[in-house]
Amino acid sequence: MEVKYAMVIDSAKCFNCKACVIACQLANGVPIGLYRNWIKRATEGNGAKVHFQPGNCMHCDNPTCVQACPTSATYKDKKDGTVKVNAKLCINCGSCIPACPYGARFRHPEKKVVDKCNFCEERRARGESVACVAVCPTKARTFGNILDPQSDAARLLKSNKTVKVINQTTDTKPNIDYISETAPMNWPVEPKAPTPIRLWQNIADPLVKGLVGLTGLGIFVMLGKQLLIKDEPPASGHEQGKEDAHEQHSD
Amino acid sequence: MSSTVIKRHTKISIFIHWFNAVCWFFLLATGLGLIKNEKLDPIGGWWPDLMRGLFGSGEILLLAHVICGLIWVVVFLVYGILRAKKDVIPFMREIFSYSPSNDLLWLIKKPIQMTMGYKMLEKLGFEPRIPDQGFYNVGQKLLAIPTVFGGVVIAATGIIMYASKFFIIDKMVVQWSILIHFVAVGAVFAGLLIHIFMGSIASGELPALISMFTGTVPEDYAKHHHKLWYDQVEGEKHL
Repeated sequence: MEVKYAMVIDSAKCFNCKACVIACQLANGVPIGLYRNWIKRATEGNGAKVHFQPGNCMHCDNPTCVQACPTSATYKDKKDGTVKVNAKLCINCGSCIPACPYGARFRHPEKKVVDKCNFCEERRARGESVACVAVCPTKARTFGNILDPQSDAARLLKSNKTVKVINQTTDTKPNIDYISETAPMNWPVEPKAPTPIRLWQNIADPLVKGLVGLTGLGIFVMLGKQLLIKDEPPASGHEQGKEDAHEQHSD
Repeated sequence: MSSTVIKRHTKISIFIHWFNAVCWFFLLATGLGLIKNEKLDPIGGWWPDLMRGLFGSGEILLLAHVICGLIWVVVFLVYGILRAKKDVIPFMREIFSYSPSNDLLWLIKKPIQMTMGYKMLEKLGFEPRIPDQGFYNVGQKLLAIPTVFGGVVIAATGIIMYASKFFIIDKMVVQWSILIHFVAVGAVFAGLLIHIFMGSIASGELPALISMFTGTVPEDYAKHHHKLWYDQVEGEKHL
């Protein structure tokens, strides 16, 4: 069976206890002050009405972070639909960080790689459930394979109207669905690869190709000339004579 | 004409040349394989896929690239230190010495001759003889300068990128290193294409290729391609 992991969140159930944030930090060795997940807050009418919105990496189907990585150290795993970081290939350049509209990525100060939510891959491999989901006292978060109609996540998706939180410029096709409605909605930023990566794509790549191409063309012309034209050095006239004379003289 | 030969390269120079060539070939192939991003890969995704398949995975490819790169840097450092006086300083002095009038004329005439022949030189009103050159011709010297500095830049940016796996380096420094590494390799590679053509395929240059194994060139070759160097060697002989 095909697998696509996703999360369905009923943000109306969240009361900002932050158990998910702390459970995630403990489960995944996230240093204090850094986070793989979050709870956003929206207020209406002088804070009279407050809404909390839990979230984490949305494992997008159009992952702008993957598009910003030069080596595919971060990639979309086709086997389970999650966006992963290959720690052994990642050189911690951080190009993917501003390319995520949700700010879901950070440089891990101890591991020296870019870190983010992986839906608790290691815990799931041990047969445990995703930490933030397991700890949530109101069951606001539901994780599962949405291609399996029997999963809780797929059932919730089927029986509810859901919304996605998307940035204004690029639909990254996130895989967190919020039941009925949620707030805040306008916080994701424009995903943008850093300047060196954009310069590479727009200027350096055509420049280097052009330079190598022109050089190749020059060599092609030289080779063609060499094969097609019989090109003798000028009739060894006066210069050659001079050399010989010089030789005889010095001997 | 005589069949005497003149010594042109020491055994150490020959070693470092072919060591550099093998490293360049390996580092270029593996480095191109590391760029797996359809917006950035210069020759398409088939190459990174092929290289990763050959090496087993991206991380093994990275490791192979880094190990070869570090060997390249260390060998050149040791060579540079041990042979500073004998090779490096004279080489640097040579590639920065020019005789403007002679060399400028060479730079105009040689490309015309290489692409269109001596007859075109005559048609354009030039005296068809190519100006005499020293141990290196001016084309070689002008390629050598960006190659040497490009090599230093490539090594430095490569070290920064790998060091980023072990130390926290400002991410802008790492990102710029990636870009500069790519551009420097591209520029030096363009020069390398000319070097390979001129040093092996170009007519009359076969003795140069052979000399990179034997260390010697025929007297004729030296006289015709590096006249000023030949005169100097001959002059020293008679001192």
